[in-house]
Amino acid sequence: MQNIDIPATNRTPAVAFDFDVGHLKLIGESYPEDVTTFYNPLFDALKSWLSDGSISKCRFEFELIYFNSSSAKAIMMIMELLDSAAEAGKSVDVFWFHDPEDETMEELGEEFGEDLKHAKFTLEKLLDR
Amino acid sequence: MLASEVYELRANLRRQGVVFAYSGYVTEGILSGVGDALKQKLVSEDADTKTLRSVFAVFVEQMQNIIRYSVERLPTDGETEVLDISYGIVTIGNEAGGYVVHAGNLILLSDVDNMRRRLSELRAMNREELRAAYKDQLRSETDAVGNSAGIGLIEIARRASKPIEFDFMRIDDQHAFFALKATV
Repeated sequence: MQNIDIPATNRTPAVAFDFDVGHLKLIGESYPEDVTTFYNPLFDALKSWLSDGSISKCRFEFELIYFNSSSAKAIMMIMELLDSAAEAGKSVDVFWFHDPEDETMEELGEEFGEDLKHAKFTLEKLLDR
Repeated sequence: MLASEVYELRANLRRQGVVFAYSGYVTEGILSGVGDALKQKLVSEDADTKTLRSVFAVFVEQMQNIIRYSVERLPTDGETEVLDISYGIVTIGNEAGGYVVHAGNLILLSDVDNMRRRLSELRAMNREELRAAYKDQLRSETDAVGNSAGIGLIEIARRASKPIEFDFMRIDDQHAFFALKATV
């Protein structure tokens, strides 16, 4: 599977999906002009990678500084994909890094984390930044 | 004469504590540009991280509400991917030590009752209830990523430091002006 490496812009996060090692990251701010155009290709890639039976583990890191309410839905959909993969027996680790001074992002992390029934979820403060 | 007219407009805004004002057709591009300037201004004022992000978040949702839901808009041809261009007003200013974001746009008169009910519900919610409402709304809409007024208004209410204020004014047989105020 082709890795995905997209640099951040003002309105979209950096995407680093390293499928070879099973390390996936979203880093930065997310309020795209068109949420569907930005996130759909990412869902599709993630979905097809996770459906590969030979993949046994995945580490997904959210390191978001800010996201708007339309992006929230995309994030929830990614979480759902990850949780079903964990339910299907894969080892899935989800990390949510947030700015220690931004309690809203911490709360949002808690909320998304609560929905993960099978994947392992870790909420962590983002240090030295 | 010209200078004094324009200066008077600016002075009026300043007297009301307004630091940023945009009135006219809004596009995603304008959101980006004004948003970048707003961020710089907030950083230069040494706003703390939480305030900075919250003011910015409220601004983004207000602008996107206008872009998506203002009924005063330029026609798009429906074939090519033309970005929405809709009329509205957004101001950001200071009031009693906090930041205030105002937004206004035309809506259909027939939507006023629904919106009034929804916004009154949001106004009455405490932080925990807003958190729950945000999640409920997200779940009810996971089938489609994209436009949603509900979640945007909840985000505004969550980021605000006190209950949001809103008002409607009848314009003609079909239209009303909707105004929303969020204090961060």
